[in-house]
Amino acid sequence: MLMSDASSAAQRGSRSSVAAGPVLARLCVLVVLLVSTHPLYAQSPPAANGCVACHSTQADSRLATPAALFTEPDVHRESGFACVDCHGGSASSSDVARAHAPAEGFKGKPAGQTVVATCARCHSDANVMRRYAPKQRVDQATEYAASVHGQQLAKGDLKVATCSSCHNAHGIRRISDAKSPVFPTNVANTCATCHTDEKRMAGYTLPGGGALPTHQLADYQKSVHYAALTKGNDPSAPTCNDCHGNHGAAPPGVGAVTNVCGTCHAVFAQKFAASVHQPIFDKGCVECHGNHAVVKPSDQMLSAAAGGACAACHTAGDASDKGTAAAVAMRTGIERLKSGIDDSGALLRRIKNAGIEVSDEQLALREAGTKLTLARTEIHGFEVGRVEAILADGMKVVEAVARAGQDGVAELRFRRRGLAVSLGAILIFVVALGLKIRQIDRRDRTRRASL
Amino acid sequence: MKVIDWVDERLDLSGVRHFVADKGVPVHAQKIWYYLGGMTLCLFGVQVLTGILLLLYYRPSATEAYESVQFIVTQVQFGWLIRNLHSWSANLLIGLAFAHFFSVFFLKSYRKPRELTWVSGILLLFLMLGFGFSGYLLPWNELAFFATKVGTGIAGAVPLVGRFALRLLRGGDDVTGATLSRFYGLHVAVLPAITTALVALHLLFVQRQGMSVPIGVERKLKPGEHLPQMPFFPNYVLRDVLAWYVVIAVLAALAAFYPWELGTKADPFAPVPAGIRPEWYFLAMFHTLKLVPSHVLGIEGEHLGVVAFGLAAMFLVLVPFLDRRASRGEPSRLFTLVAALGLLYLVSFTIIGHYAK
Repeated sequence: MLMSDASSAAQRGSRSSVAAGPVLARLCVLVVLLVSTHPLYAQSPPAANGCVACHSTQADSRLATPAALFTEPDVHRESGFACVDCHGGSASSSDVARAHAPAEGFKGKPAGQTVVATCARCHSDANVMRRYAPKQRVDQATEYAASVHGQQLAKGDLKVATCSSCHNAHGIRRISDAKSPVFPTNVANTCATCHTDEKRMAGYTLPGGGALPTHQLADYQKSVHYAALTKGNDPSAPTCNDCHGNHGAAPPGVGAVTNVCGTCHAVFAQKFAASVHQPIFDKGCVECHGNHAVVKPSDQMLSAAAGGACAACHTAGDASDKGTAAAVAMRTGIERLKSGIDDSGALLRRIKNAGIEVSDEQLALREAGTKLTLARTEIHGFEVGRVEAILADGMKVVEAVARAGQDGVAELRFRRRGLAVSLGAILIFVVALGLKIRQIDRRDRTRRASL
Repeated sequence: MKVIDWVDERLDLSGVRHFVADKGVPVHAQKIWYYLGGMTLCLFGVQVLTGILLLLYYRPSATEAYESVQFIVTQVQFGWLIRNLHSWSANLLIGLAFAHFFSVFFLKSYRKPRELTWVSGILLLFLMLGFGFSGYLLPWNELAFFATKVGTGIAGAVPLVGRFALRLLRGGDDVTGATLSRFYGLHVAVLPAITTALVALHLLFVQRQGMSVPIGVERKLKPGEHLPQMPFFPNYVLRDVLAWYVVIAVLAALAAFYPWELGTKADPFAPVPAGIRPEWYFLAMFHTLKLVPSHVLGIEGEHLGVVAFGLAAMFLVLVPFLDRRASRGEPSRLFTLVAALGLLYLVSFTIIGHYAK
């Protein structure tokens, strides 16, 4: 509908331009001719949307629901598109047969590849998209064709997701709309519509050959990423499409995991890429952190003992195991720095409450905290020397803060002793003054009595 | 030759000597209230002394004020003590000034011939509040910054001249470094100059007219009977000094055990922190303005509140001239009731304002 409006608007513009001058008029006619050659403009149906009017009254929900949804918030309707732009047919005809006649271009309900082709008519056309969403990419259909979904569809598998599976067919909301099924907080549930369905997933396999699991959503909901997205209200936290791609959705290849995680965790990926583990870990980051159920990492992971991330390959207590020794050395250093920061922090809080200004020391302690974070990052390079060097810098700061804290405690003692001495002196003076006043009063009374 | 004799030889101190020797202080059950004025004066002295010491290191600019106070309390020898004494003394001073004000109000000491002593005292009370308001901003911390924003905003609600007053106080439309410079100037130059002159005048009046005797005590005297007198020097002066030492001991203990927090540096672009409220002595006024409806009979509520406070201040200044019964030496129950209601209002609204969210 908007297309026809745009077309007629262009025609109106051309008529007024003819009057304005021959050069402009020729230019406008040329524009109108160019625009009108596009198939969408060529249809130019009348403005009235008879489809919605008629379908809304249908008792069959399969016919009525699309019309109802289309009248709700829908990006296409709001941009001036009508049913006929996707389904063809005549919106102005009151005759059902004529409205749905193939001669009127009626295509019915698109399915499978037709869905992708229907959407791609506009969404893969930069000239069209520039008019409605100029910043939007126009390679979704190409990406989709390269995805597992697209490849399966090309093989004739109609169970796979197409555009409408994720974005809906009617009542399509912008991706920035929190109610959109592809809004970041909704993506996991949208993917899970199919991927938690065991029946639907039966027969599909992973690239390695195993059966495609259906517990990804449950795993993801345990992850630190899910917590950041839903509880931390951080829309930049990753959900399914951030690792698998959206239109080009596919599991990351074995060698690509580090790159995928490294999109956000760049420094960790860089350290790992240069580490001794890089050629050994087939699944990169996933070896220690898991994939969908990425929980908040802890220092306890750095251990070859049971429950530690190193335990899968290294043996706790084995003196000949270099990996175990490295884990123990790094963990010991981290724990020492952590407890140093905690103890100094507690000391600073105590003397601050007592009135000693400790802003500089608190700032220094934050620097020690930064060193701890750096050391935890450096662990991904698995070089004990580098980690220990950072930890040693942190310990220097902690020791300096602890010394300042002890100075503060000594200062507090000094202040309290000083106050006790001052109050003692004042008390003695007050008592002496009181006695003097009594003496003077007594003297005055005696003098008055003698008069 | 004694120094006093040396001075006497040149300036003839016989008048002063006779004044001191002859001056007496009435002795009665309520004479305890006489010491409040002296205690307030003692704290004013502490403020002047500690204020001068703070001036040696304080830098009045938005970029340096906070850091300079931080330097005073961390690096300067006994700087923490001086700053804590100054902050605590300011609060005790205002508390004692209010106590002195109410004692004078209840005892009707403002009655003829001491009207001018009362007027100078009320003006001194307002000046003390001005000191508190201007000094609060000087450390340039977050709480002070936003409280000053609210406080100067109230000044902006004064009808007709509000906008002018607000810009005059802030040095612009918002609280900035210019406001700090103005408050600093007010705090260390303008207010001290006026206060010193008024304190001198107030003391002169008190010394010239002597201590007032409560109406109740005066009326109980039989014709021709006189109240017993205590010699001003040394009996009363030594008692006054004793009270000063008690105040100083309390002040030292507060400064050592309850250090005045510096807080975080003011950030004009930071969101307003929760629980912003003025110093305790403005809480009653602040809370009252919060309770006033936005519009009363078509007049903006805040304007009405500010005008009401202005009228209340005016009433206080004029009390000795309005209380005709007291000026005739007769009991004045109406003004006792006014004082009691005023005290009840201030105490209750300060407490409510403190706990209100």
